[in-house]
Amino acid sequence: MTGMEFTAWFGKIELDEDGEIRDCELFDKNPEKLAELVVELHDNVQAVPLKRADLREAALESGFVDLDEDYDILLRDVCIRAAKSQISQTDTDDSRIIQAVEALDDIDKNVNELSERLFEWYGRYFPELDMTGEELAVFVSAYGSRANVPDDHELSQKASQSMGAELLFSDEELLRAFAKNICSLYDTRRYIENYINTSMGSVAPNLCNITGASLGARLMSMAGSLQKLAAFPSSTVQVIGANRALFKHLRSKAPSPKHGIIFNNPAIKNAPWWQRGKLARALASKISLAARTDFYSGELDPSIKEALEKKLESIRQANPNPPERKPEDKPQGKGGKGGKRKYRGKGKGKNTGGKR
Amino acid sequence: MPVRELSSGIYELDIDDRKMLATKNIMPGLSVYGERLITDDDTEYRQWDPSRSKLGAMVLKNFDIPLEADSTVLYLGAASGTTVSHVSDILTDGLVYAVEFSPRTMRDLIQLCDQRPNIIPILADANKPQSYAHIVEQVDVIFQDVAQPNQAEIAAINSKYFLEEHGHLMLSIKSRSIDTVASPKKIFKEEVRKLESGFDIEFEVLERKELDPFHEDHLGLVAKMFVDDEE
Repeated sequence: MTGMEFTAWFGKIELDEDGEIRDCELFDKNPEKLAELVVELHDNVQAVPLKRADLREAALESGFVDLDEDYDILLRDVCIRAAKSQISQTDTDDSRIIQAVEALDDIDKNVNELSERLFEWYGRYFPELDMTGEELAVFVSAYGSRANVPDDHELSQKASQSMGAELLFSDEELLRAFAKNICSLYDTRRYIENYINTSMGSVAPNLCNITGASLGARLMSMAGSLQKLAAFPSSTVQVIGANRALFKHLRSKAPSPKHGIIFNNPAIKNAPWWQRGKLARALASKISLAARTDFYSGELDPSIKEALEKKLESIRQANPNPPERKPEDKPQGKGGKGGKRKYRGKGKGKNTGGKR
Repeated sequence: MPVRELSSGIYELDIDDRKMLATKNIMPGLSVYGERLITDDDTEYRQWDPSRSKLGAMVLKNFDIPLEADSTVLYLGAASGTTVSHVSDILTDGLVYAVEFSPRTMRDLIQLCDQRPNIIPILADANKPQSYAHIVEQVDVIFQDVAQPNQAEIAAINSKYFLEEHGHLMLSIKSRSIDTVASPKKIFKEEVRKLESGFDIEFEVLERKELDPFHEDHLGLVAKMFVDDEE
């Protein structure tokens, strides 16, 4: 019987049937080349004999290195290079979109807080001004003190008759700088949004077509990557983002969540409550399909969207009226022991655990 | 300052009547993750927080730790290297192969490897030992902290490829990553059963204790590969 061949990081080893070394063809002691090989062997897994000589012994016996320490030093060098090159390859299209969508959420959170602060702060000097958010930030950075509002401005009367305090010059400069920064955050936000819209179209055209760019990007972000989203069963896609509700359901007798983050799709958000669960299930199944098409082929397939529209329409027509029984009454979950499932509020208390 | 060696390379310092777990810093002056450095008679120690490290918790739970200064260790689930750095302190004359799957955490781990001479970083999936069999030699100890639903299987298959005949397996089993709902006790029992007889190699479980209060719903376990002498 012949033995086996096995490639180690330092050379090709030929083994006999007992795993003893018959021959060893050594590679060059070039760390860069060896690192490439290590990555190559990681990506294209070879058959590994269970009975095989110890690598360190083989390297010493075949004369690849003379000392134990040399083995450690070279192997460490090679592996660090290999890991570094693997890491640099992980910047994929979908990972960039995920960073962008998470940056968007961070900006939203911060810009709201800053805008509220500006509202409180500037309100001391011009309380009659009926503005919030970006509008307010633009106004403050443009004029500063209400004394600067020109006469032909629609707010000039309000400004001159305001009960607000006088704004000192030093404070005015500070407030304008603060407001300017808020404005630039709003600008950046739009910039990122555009970026997501355009890149989603090329990275995940089908997903984008079904859910819209922003929701599609969020789904990818919560799944971790387009690949992971494509690998999820659609029942998981349906409840992504409803983690708390889902685990509550699994642990206790709470009802299962009907939708996670996909609630933000207008088809579900605008639907009457008794249709939402059914619509969410249909939508999730098409999202799965779209994500898989995107990941494996990348071509836009308009038939997915058409099929979805048809399905949604048939659900709407089949369920035009609210069911007579309370929705919580239907047998559901484990065994239906007639347990004390808690009824939630007023009938339309939807579970929106995934709603942001 | 009173210093007691709990196990090879693992110390308990007594600072103002408060006991503290620590290892001798092989890279004096460098703190890895913001832990405290304590100098005593020319020796620098690094504080080891058992609530951030399953291995640290196992030490304080009086496990018999099979690590020696010249051990070779395969560490599965190295994460950003908090525990690996202490293992690296213990193995003054040894080597640790640190396997981690996530490129993001590997980024942190590599910084650590750049500092320390005895850590070999491997970015790979512990489910596929064939994908790093060209790197890893036979090891004395496999330490595994991967929080995957098939933890026992991962341990078995890695032991098959890399564990020396009389080597030790150290395992931290997180019940929540196997089943969020079932009772931890039941899960632990089942995992131990799997290790003892569920695969084509068998383990003899030497010690098993839960790691509370340091880690909730975690079981620490030390086992030895069972070698059939007749073969």
